[in-house]
Amino acid sequence: MLSFSSSIRATTVAIALTLPAFAHAQDTLVVSNWGYSNNFYQPFVFEPFEKAHNVKIVTESGGAPERLNKARIRGGVDVILLTDKFSQIGINQGAFETIDSSKLTHLDELYEVAKHPQGEYGPAYTFGRYGIVYDKTRTDTPITSWCDLWRDDFKDSVAMPAFNTTGGPLTVMMAAKCAGTDAFKDPEAAFAKMAELKPNIVKTFSSGSELTNLLSTGEAFIGLAQDYAFPAIKAANPNIGWAELDEGDFAMMNTYNIPKNSKNKELALKFIDFSISAQVQKDGAVELGAGSGPINKTVELTDEQASGLVYGQDQVEKMQTTPIKQLLEVNDAWEKLWNKTFGF
Amino acid sequence: MAALGPWLLVLPATMLLFLLLVLPVAGTLKESFDGASGGLLDNYQAFFADEFNRVVLIRSFKIAFMSTFVSLVAGFLGAYMIANASPNLKRVLLILSVFPLLTSVVVRSFSFMAILGRNGVVNTLFLKIGLIDQPLELLFTQGAVVAGLAYLFTPLMILSLVGVLENIDDDLYAAAGSLGASPVGVFFQVTLPLAVPGMIVGSILVFTGSLATFVTPVLLGGEQQMTLSTLLYRKAMISFDWAAANTIAAIMMAITITCVIAMGALANRIAAGRKMR
Repeated sequence: MLSFSSSIRATTVAIALTLPAFAHAQDTLVVSNWGYSNNFYQPFVFEPFEKAHNVKIVTESGGAPERLNKARIRGGVDVILLTDKFSQIGINQGAFETIDSSKLTHLDELYEVAKHPQGEYGPAYTFGRYGIVYDKTRTDTPITSWCDLWRDDFKDSVAMPAFNTTGGPLTVMMAAKCAGTDAFKDPEAAFAKMAELKPNIVKTFSSGSELTNLLSTGEAFIGLAQDYAFPAIKAANPNIGWAELDEGDFAMMNTYNIPKNSKNKELALKFIDFSISAQVQKDGAVELGAGSGPINKTVELTDEQASGLVYGQDQVEKMQTTPIKQLLEVNDAWEKLWNKTFGF
Repeated sequence: MAALGPWLLVLPATMLLFLLLVLPVAGTLKESFDGASGGLLDNYQAFFADEFNRVVLIRSFKIAFMSTFVSLVAGFLGAYMIANASPNLKRVLLILSVFPLLTSVVVRSFSFMAILGRNGVVNTLFLKIGLIDQPLELLFTQGAVVAGLAYLFTPLMILSLVGVLENIDDDLYAAAGSLGASPVGVFFQVTLPLAVPGMIVGSILVFTGSLATFVTPVLLGGEQQMTLSTLLYRKAMISFDWAAANTIAAIMMAITITCVIAMGALANRIAAGRKMR
């Protein structure tokens, strides 16, 4: 039988042990991202936000399509990071909430194109670009135009993005331009020009790592790439450089959105607001490098920090707009034409 | 109650299988018959109406058949060598032939990229001995996919055949020899017919595996060599076309089941024929 004082001590210990569980009961914010940048997100974004709002951030990682599907069907996600293509798909599916811009205190600091890239939905959080990379030691005449891809001396040299990647349909648009027409008005002419590119294509790829592999093994020496993949490509083959194209690269954006079934919409908005602030944007550009060009125009970077990034008004304006919505509308028709051109 | 005992013992595993296998498969089949305009076969009609899909279907068949054939020939030779080796050597050879199974499919497919690539082993060798003056385009072709799949599945074929070949009674060889059969005659008239059950089991494993495998066609074939499994992935994970993805899954299941039944029937027929003789 325990003495009275022992009972008191035991009860005190039990209460002391149980209390922290209640004292630390926090809200949880679920952020769905690719997972590969969490070394940056954890110290620079998640931890400061957790401290400021007494919230626990849980991440859900994976490829864009599966994360979008999970967020839409199963729910449980509060903020989702996607490329503009997949966020447009989500918007078309009615998966996202519109954003109350008045609650984003940093929105005015963003470049115009990044504020509402897809209507009343989430803002962009990074700028990237899609262009051409090539091994500069393998050709005497530099690549200066998208139309150079069709050059006779590039037989079996080009690694092409597959149709269902972000870059595939953009290449069709450029093919039309090189044929002197518009791919949306005359898709047949665009794909006839794409067929002319066939002898120059070694392989179509579906991911940045696949492209890196093709360029590093010498299977291809020209690749159509997004800038996020460039550092890895350059590390694998230092002779690879980014082509300066007369027509310009295509603008790529990653976006934040709040799924309709989120249970923490207010907190999610605060998270987005924090993430587009100048400090987080600068940290992201410096830490992540290529593919993470800041969308906040008040961010100031040194020349070294800015190299390889889409940075500054001039560069943002120089890029070609990617008509995601229009591309999704013609997706099925173009996919059939693509299959007819490359699948047989 | 005693009679119920064994059933109760298998009940948990059966329930698990039902939950994890039967229900999802039934769901997939149901979705495939759930056409947009209400017709039962709408999705199937849409699939077969598209010429690209038909090409992919035929290509998948062709690749699966060719890799099965190559695995069968290579596997038979390997298994024959193992079955006739001394016990110690047999153990070593068996371990060596099964060893690739311990490595990931991705690694094994990547190794073929290093072998068949423009700067790969084959091209470098041919260039050095002066057989060619330009690297051959070996990678990202149907041949590369078939070679990769054959390499992937030959160990399964060997495992299926070794047991069968070992169980052939040595007296049969002696009898055939004493009746004047040449070694080649013994092989074709004794060994090969008696190995047919193992060849069929191995072929079923390799064929169904080749038809369903995803990594090897993606890495060694790319979009130009799209197969049913890569098309299914594209429909489900990139185009979000779940109706088409479910239909492709159902078609792949139907093909696999049909092939298993057909090959099983063939094995039974051969066994019955042998008994009649």
